[in-house]
Amino acid sequence: MSRSNGRTVSLRDRMLLASIVLAAIVVGVFVATILAVSAARNATKQEARSKNLSVAALRLEKLVLDVENGVRGFALTSDRRFLAPYTDAKAALPDQRKLFRSLATDQPLQATRAKTLDFDIGIYIETFADPVVQFSNRRAAELAYDSEGRRQAASIRNQFAQFIQAENELSRSRERAADSKSRHAIELGVVGLTGSAILILLFAIYLARGIARPVTEAAAGAGQVAAGDLSFRLSQTGPGEVGEFTKSFNEMAERLESTRNELEDQNAQLRESERLKSDLVNTVSHELRTPLSGVMGFTKLLLTREFDPETRRHYLGIVDAQARRLSNLLDDFLDVRRIEEGRFERAQELVDMATLLREEAQLYSQQSPKHEVAVEIDHAPLAVLGNPDRLRQVIGNLISNAIKYSPQGGVVEVSADGGNESVRVEVRDEGMGIPLSQQPQIFTKFFRGDAPASGITGTGLGLAVSRDIVESHGGRIGFTSAEGQGTTFFVELPGANGVKDRQGHDEDQS
Amino acid sequence: MERRKTILICDDEPALRELIRASMDDGFEFAEASDGIVAMELARELSPDMVILDLMLPRLSGLEVLARLSADEQLKDVPVLVITAWNETREDVLAAGADDFVSKPFDPEALRSAVNRLVAA
Repeated sequence: MSRSNGRTVSLRDRMLLASIVLAAIVVGVFVATILAVSAARNATKQEARSKNLSVAALRLEKLVLDVENGVRGFALTSDRRFLAPYTDAKAALPDQRKLFRSLATDQPLQATRAKTLDFDIGIYIETFADPVVQFSNRRAAELAYDSEGRRQAASIRNQFAQFIQAENELSRSRERAADSKSRHAIELGVVGLTGSAILILLFAIYLARGIARPVTEAAAGAGQVAAGDLSFRLSQTGPGEVGEFTKSFNEMAERLESTRNELEDQNAQLRESERLKSDLVNTVSHELRTPLSGVMGFTKLLLTREFDPETRRHYLGIVDAQARRLSNLLDDFLDVRRIEEGRFERAQELVDMATLLREEAQLYSQQSPKHEVAVEIDHAPLAVLGNPDRLRQVIGNLISNAIKYSPQGGVVEVSADGGNESVRVEVRDEGMGIPLSQQPQIFTKFFRGDAPASGITGTGLGLAVSRDIVESHGGRIGFTSAEGQGTTFFVELPGANGVKDRQGHDEDQS
Repeated sequence: MERRKTILICDDEPALRELIRASMDDGFEFAEASDGIVAMELARELSPDMVILDLMLPRLSGLEVLARLSADEQLKDVPVLVITAWNETREDVLAAGADDFVSKPFDPEALRSAVNRLVAA
């Protein structure tokens, strides 16, 4: 899901769409119900009309019968008293005929029948009933009545019977239609209302699941994150903006967590650096005070007491050695400053590493009678380009470490090999080795591992300075070691030819 | 003739052991230890009249040597003078069992008189 495919419907559009569909469905249900109700009403109206028409037909038939009765009574008796039903009926006939005609218009067949009936009634009244009443002669009237009147009256009665039967049938079918349409309207109303209610419920559930629940979860999650649990993540399943929101929330928590972890790491590094600095203060204190004690103490003795020339010379030798030790310590600290400020002088001289190694090996061999420093060089010279003092410092550091970290004594093996392209130097000891856990830190400034506890002196600067010197010469320094089985340090430097190439390349860049 | 008093010097730095020896008056015997283990061995073997102890010792620290000397029935009364380059206070060192204290760099005269005072006591 998400912005990348660009087809995600926004939450606002989803809600709008869902609301419109819901409203349309409800309106449709409502309209259909109204239509059904109105159809049922029409059917009921038509049914009522049929009933009215039947009533009107029966009344009209009664009037016609009254006319016939009056005429027949008069014709048989010539007594005008029997004309009363005729007179009354004749007075009411025009209105009733009009009503009958007007009611019988909505069904074509019945309308035709009604028209014929009405017409026949008119003929009967005009051509038979009225003339009979005019006869004064009873016999003539009786004849007239018997022949034609009887026939016409019978025909009219027949027609009425037919008409009313038809109308009754019509009325029954209309009643059935009205019943079915009412039922239909009620069913539609019930189903529509129930359906709408269910749809509204579904919409509410959708809102609750799609929006309310993720928002509630996000609020709870924000609380947890605020309380410090930065590993908390929301499930990213919300629609549209809610999904974007949970995603952003998770990204925020992610960033907070990684920032906190970075800070914690930095804090740990700072604490470690503080600890190293504090160690350094103690180290410097000890490392400076010891040679200083020698210088000051022997100087004071030489100034205050008398010694024979040989002893005096011996003591002055010690003062000289301790003073130089102080000076070297000072150089080491200054080198650290140079490393930190990134400046290291790069004197470019041809240096023969074979000669340099032999001189250093001899120097340290004299200083530690317990150790034998063996040199093995296959072929000489081994020329590199660089600063001879600095390279001497590196080799001196490695041999001095090899001696210091094999306190029981033993052989320190210095070997070198190489040619024009590169020179490799190895310094191997049979000492205590470097524990695996301390190996990654071995080139870290001021790091001394177990040396302080073992009473091994030093500043923890030698290897850091050495690595910087080797790398500034375009070489690399490394080691292999196992605890209790000694250590082999190696230095690889570009041969004199290689250095020339590198120099040219460097100048192009600067 | 009086027996010559023995002083055990414990320091890992040969130049400082020589300085301590040179600072002393004539008439002492000296034994030297360059680490804490050797210091304890020599102390038990020689029962020296006093111990001069650098706190920064390989293999067994000066404070540990101090504790072992105090715990040893034979050696607990041997006066100990502590030399240190660290920043321990005088109180700390005396509380740990030392009888006197000089810090590096020290004055040879001060060391000499401190040793004489302790050996005489």
